[in-house]
Amino acid sequence: MSEPIATGRRRAGTSTTSQRQRYWDLRAAGNFIGGGTGTGLIAAAAVAAASGAPYHAALMLGVALIATGLALVWLEIGKPWRALHVFFHPRTSWMTREGIVAGAVIPLGVVAAVVSRPAPVVITAGLAVGFLYCQARILRAARGIPAWRRREIVALILAAGLAEGGGLALLVEPASGGALGFALAAGLAREAAWRVYHAGLAREAGTGTSLAVFASPVARRLRALHRAGLALIAATLIAATLVTPILVVPISLDPAVIVPVLAMVGGALVVASSWGMKILLITRAAFTRALSLPVVPIRGAKKSHAH
Amino acid sequence: MTRYVMVADLRRCVGCQTCTAACKEGNGTPPGVQWRRVLDLEAGTYPDVSRVFVPTGCQHCANPPCLEVCPSTATRQREDGIITIADDLCIGCSYCIMACPYDARSLVDQPRYAFGATPTEAEAARPGAGAVGIASKCTFCAGRIDAGTARGLVPGRDPDATPLCVNACISGALSFGDIEDESGPVATLLAENRWFRLQEREGTEPGFYYIWDKEAL
Amino acid sequence: MSIAAKKDIRSVPSYCYNCVAGPDLMSVRVESGVATRIEPCHQAAAIHPGLGRVCVKAFGLVQKTYNPHRVLTPMKRTNPRKGRDEDPGFVPISWDEALDTIAARLRDIRARGLLNAAGLPRVAATFGHGGTPQSYMGTFPAFLSAWGAIDYSFGSGQGVKCVHSEHLYGEFWHRGFTVAADTVHTRYIISCGANVEVSGGVCAVRRHADARIRGVKRVQVEPHLSPTAACSAEWVPIKPKTDAAFLFAVIHEILFAHPRHRLDLAFLRDRTASPYLVGEDGYYLRDPLSLKPLLWDEISAQAVPFDTEGAHPALEGHFTVSDAVTCGPDGERRPQRGVAARTAFAVMAETMAPYTPEWAAGICDIPAATIRRIAAEFLDHACIGETIEIDGETLPFRPVAVTLGKTVNNGWGAYECCWARTMLAVLVGALEVPGGTLGTTVRLNRPHENRLKSVVPGEDGFMAAHFNPTGRRDWQATPTGRNAHRTLVPIVGNSPWAQALGPTHLAWMFSREPPKEWPEPELPEIWFAFRTNPAISFWDTAEIGRAMARMPFIVAFAYTFDETNHMADILLPEAGDLESTQVIRIGGTKFVEQHWAHHGVALRAPAVAPRGEARDFTWIATELAYRCGLIERYNAALNRGAAGIPLAGEGYDFRLPAERAHNVDTIWDAVCKAATAELSHGAEIRDLDWFRAHGHYVVPFKREDWYLYPTMARLGLRFELPYQERLLRVGEELGRRLHEQNIHWWDSQLDEYLAVPQWHDVPGRWVRAIRAQGGDPADYPLWGITTKVMAYTTGNNVGIPLMHEVSANLRGHGAVILNAATAQRLGIADHDWVEVRSPTGATTGRASLVQGCRPDTVVIPGQFAHWKTPFAKDLAFPSLNRIIPLSLALTDATGSGADVVRVAVRKIAPQAGVGAT
Repeated sequence: MSEPIATGRRRAGTSTTSQRQRYWDLRAAGNFIGGGTGTGLIAAAAVAAASGAPYHAALMLGVALIATGLALVWLEIGKPWRALHVFFHPRTSWMTREGIVAGAVIPLGVVAAVVSRPAPVVITAGLAVGFLYCQARILRAARGIPAWRRREIVALILAAGLAEGGGLALLVEPASGGALGFALAAGLAREAAWRVYHAGLAREAGTGTSLAVFASPVARRLRALHRAGLALIAATLIAATLVTPILVVPISLDPAVIVPVLAMVGGALVVASSWGMKILLITRAAFTRALSLPVVPIRGAKKSHAH
Repeated sequence: MTRYVMVADLRRCVGCQTCTAACKEGNGTPPGVQWRRVLDLEAGTYPDVSRVFVPTGCQHCANPPCLEVCPSTATRQREDGIITIADDLCIGCSYCIMACPYDARSLVDQPRYAFGATPTEAEAARPGAGAVGIASKCTFCAGRIDAGTARGLVPGRDPDATPLCVNACISGALSFGDIEDESGPVATLLAENRWFRLQEREGTEPGFYYIWDKEAL
Repeated sequence: MSIAAKKDIRSVPSYCYNCVAGPDLMSVRVESGVATRIEPCHQAAAIHPGLGRVCVKAFGLVQKTYNPHRVLTPMKRTNPRKGRDEDPGFVPISWDEALDTIAARLRDIRARGLLNAAGLPRVAATFGHGGTPQSYMGTFPAFLSAWGAIDYSFGSGQGVKCVHSEHLYGEFWHRGFTVAADTVHTRYIISCGANVEVSGGVCAVRRHADARIRGVKRVQVEPHLSPTAACSAEWVPIKPKTDAAFLFAVIHEILFAHPRHRLDLAFLRDRTASPYLVGEDGYYLRDPLSLKPLLWDEISAQAVPFDTEGAHPALEGHFTVSDAVTCGPDGERRPQRGVAARTAFAVMAETMAPYTPEWAAGICDIPAATIRRIAAEFLDHACIGETIEIDGETLPFRPVAVTLGKTVNNGWGAYECCWARTMLAVLVGALEVPGGTLGTTVRLNRPHENRLKSVVPGEDGFMAAHFNPTGRRDWQATPTGRNAHRTLVPIVGNSPWAQALGPTHLAWMFSREPPKEWPEPELPEIWFAFRTNPAISFWDTAEIGRAMARMPFIVAFAYTFDETNHMADILLPEAGDLESTQVIRIGGTKFVEQHWAHHGVALRAPAVAPRGEARDFTWIATELAYRCGLIERYNAALNRGAAGIPLAGEGYDFRLPAERAHNVDTIWDAVCKAATAELSHGAEIRDLDWFRAHGHYVVPFKREDWYLYPTMARLGLRFELPYQERLLRVGEELGRRLHEQNIHWWDSQLDEYLAVPQWHDVPGRWVRAIRAQGGDPADYPLWGITTKVMAYTTGNNVGIPLMHEVSANLRGHGAVILNAATAQRLGIADHDWVEVRSPTGATTGRASLVQGCRPDTVVIPGQFAHWKTPFAKDLAFPSLNRIIPLSLALTDATGSGADVVRVAVRKIAPQAGVGAT
């Protein structure tokens, strides 16, 4: 490796080779949404199952979402009838591993729903988290896309999936303290993971276009929605456990109605925000790497300066 | 052992895109797909500006990220270092495209032709015509290398065993050959000149070298 | 079984001569009868300076061949009304109908006389870029020759798009129709805008790349960071059209900041007119008897004729000459007794004295220190006194060169630049010697194939010059061509090429508003157009289109529909690059940087059968000749060499019987045999079949013949520099002639005839022109210029998608290139749509923001804005041609103009079309 030439030149650079990736569209984003939310739902179902709360709807929907996400990818790939080739490379490919784990999660989820015992649900949830981990590692291994290839993306994808699932669980199952707690914890974890991810991205050179997408009005609104959703979930949790009468009585509403509604709205906001951010992450903020040269070539004699 | 590499002398390249056109025509890549292309980069601020032309494409890395992620094992590494894609295995998931730090891979999902929906006679006659839905990239013209070496020809020296882009390059910027051949032209060029490789910190160990100055005496 | 075994795969030899920087050799791969790709001619690597390779344009020829938009049958117009908005209503017709229609008109013209009442040819023809269409028109030149008078003056861009002044002055001073550095030897190049990495062809690109590795220092002086500037050691961003001031300042610095011994004094003394004595009236002081120019002999301390044996001429100084005569205009002899005399060198130096680097800095926007450094580096690299051995001959070695690009080299200021460039070479003895500044080919002189043979002793110790006469009796008072080249431009001469150089835009301008002093020119009754699209490639393209629409009968050889053949009456589909037969000369020294150590001929064999009804051009030419009753004259022209090579010579005779028509192969077979006989002096005769197998035939060409200096020295001739007595006289005579006709609209052009060029406000002419066009200069604060892209330049290939795709890898393709800071000031972001407006029009396109462009300059690459050509018309690219006026005020004395215009740029709403991406 040769050292840079000492020209003292400031490398401002007006041209870049970086461009938005054109190959993974909403269908691919749908897989990360389906896989994440599905996993989150199954995890929420496991939490519910462990605490004796209803969980079937969350479990089944979670499995369905994972399957739907994979179906969307199947629609995206160039040779859908060769889809089984996806299993050929477990040694290094996280996409193969994603497929293998999905192959276990989906039937096991169905079995768990049928047998109606907590243990299979918990096992399914564990596998689902493994599935989601594979999805996160898919992005991390995408070394051509600076916005994905970060170490912090793994925690973000995991936390986002759990937050989406936790949020969506509030819409499909009766809100319990456990469900609200799960949703809030996952949502806060997602918020933290996002901040760590974003800070890391901002530290890396050449990620300006991605950062611009995350600073766009749409992204800002999505993040605000997320915070609002978390606030609602937190408020609902607090209201449900401590101060329901104070909050609810003055406006003459039945707490039995208002608490689930607030939780559902909060959950929906978290889900919508996280889905939106995933769509941005996969389809909008994913730029290829700008090639940069460590040196500029010497064309003929080296440049001399005025004497 | 043989390790084929490409060398681009950035002092020579004028950005003419002759290599790009020769590759496109010879490999029958559809409109918009360029296995070989020359980037036009600018650095600096007026009036102290540099403009550099950088031939690029698959770097045929020793540690290729595309190979690692490929779920179907379509992407493979030959013993001579050339990274290939098995057309009959590839599922067209585009994951390799995302994994390539050099933006070297492409995929088209519809047949595309120069003049629209219908191929010209020349396009219809191309071997690559109709390769839709699978990833593609520079192969270092592996077919030419194999056919040439089978006839005792030397890649990089004999045109019939040499990638089309190298054959076409008008400035002499592109050279090709076996870097393990210590007295060969590629090894000599690299020994006598200062070079770098792209995204060296990635640890991909590209088989594509960029010469930028002569070796300091 | 391998694919190759299943398929019938052939390689067919061919050449690419789509631009003047060729010809280059290639082969066409044909698989089962289909041309699939272009390949370099690797077998020619040992003889071709570009190692047998062809540039990017050639790789478009397969798409060009199979382009579904091709015109593949003869067609005729059914709508008699012509204009951009009229549908021509072309309908297919048979070749018989097409050729008979044309022949009937031609026979009718012949019966009435070749010239019209104004003395102008009734038939006109326009061919595209730099004579290259000749390499694709088979034997059509023989038809044109058989016909007789033809007006070639309706330009397709000549004069305004070529290096026009270089053509004229270069050929005048050193037989350099185009001028190059001796790149294989040089060490230092000052390149004022010569975009050699883009338009120099494969030979130049290879030579310059090799030179860079060797360590050459090329300083690129131009407003925009072109690929050539990018590949140079240094980019000096100069204000447009101020190059003459820069070069004058370099000369000043060399003359006044460095000792005289840094110059090549012997070269100046013996090989130039530097010692010639100039009298007070500006003309050479001459011997009263012999009329030979005098010089001051330092030994005898007196003025003696320039060729006096044993004289030791003074290079500088003021002297008193007792008895001499000057030869003024119109043969005026002016006795000079006891007259003060200066050497030509002294006059030159005194004229350059005011042009200090500080003075130039204010004009060119280049720091004075940079100019000083460049002058010093030029001298440092000149190697005065050194020699080099070439082909066993010892020659001076002066590895410094100055090259000029288009726009520096045409229009106002170009004379000054050409002179200054050649003068710089002369000062250090670097003209036409190894390492120096060289001519490449001749076109105004003959023979074309070896310029050294065109060197013939003329008057005053110089080479013979062939100016159009300006004397009272022999001046051509009424034009013989519609651009009046013989009348207005003495230096262009009257060779077959002269007319197509001249002021070709005047032909278009005068077709609308003829000068009242001359007979009404009348449009030609038939206009042939081939490989040309002036409706796009000239200026004020809307007006050019209207002028074409007035043409009564246009025969266009048509590849696809385009903006020019939209006005045609008959379209003829000629077989294309890969479908037809032709033999051309290769090697020797040719345009731009084609310096070979071999010369010979190459065959372009048909790789595939012509598509549709397209026919070989030679067949078309022969049929036309036959149907016009010109077959004997046509065959006679072929026998004389109209197909490139005389069919009979010393020891060989392959002449064709004159009375009957011959088929294509018979004609080219004879050419092959004659060419090989000529080259081998009869030792080897190769026929067409041999060429089909081997492609080309060459014999050695002496590298010494790259240089004119040995020939000049052998003949005892001097380069006609620094002083331009001849031009001074010619200018005065021309002024008298025009004024005698009461013509005053050429007066500002007459000002250019100076014996030593002087700076005038060259860029100011464009600023002032705005007012004349009814605008306010303050409203057009930027310079608009253009630049080339290799894939397109002179390629006839805007309809080829591959060219567009690969060009899009380069910044600014199809866009308006703007300095990023300027754009920011104007509120323009990258890829925004912008309008570029001049007082005469506007063009729109996407902005491409760069650092490598002067803040006061915008650049629009290429020549686009098509509205008819398939594919190209959908690109919605901008074109500078739309906004440059055809202007007499912006026409210089050689009849050329420059691609420069003052413009305003503003952001506009997005437009329809693909645009630049």
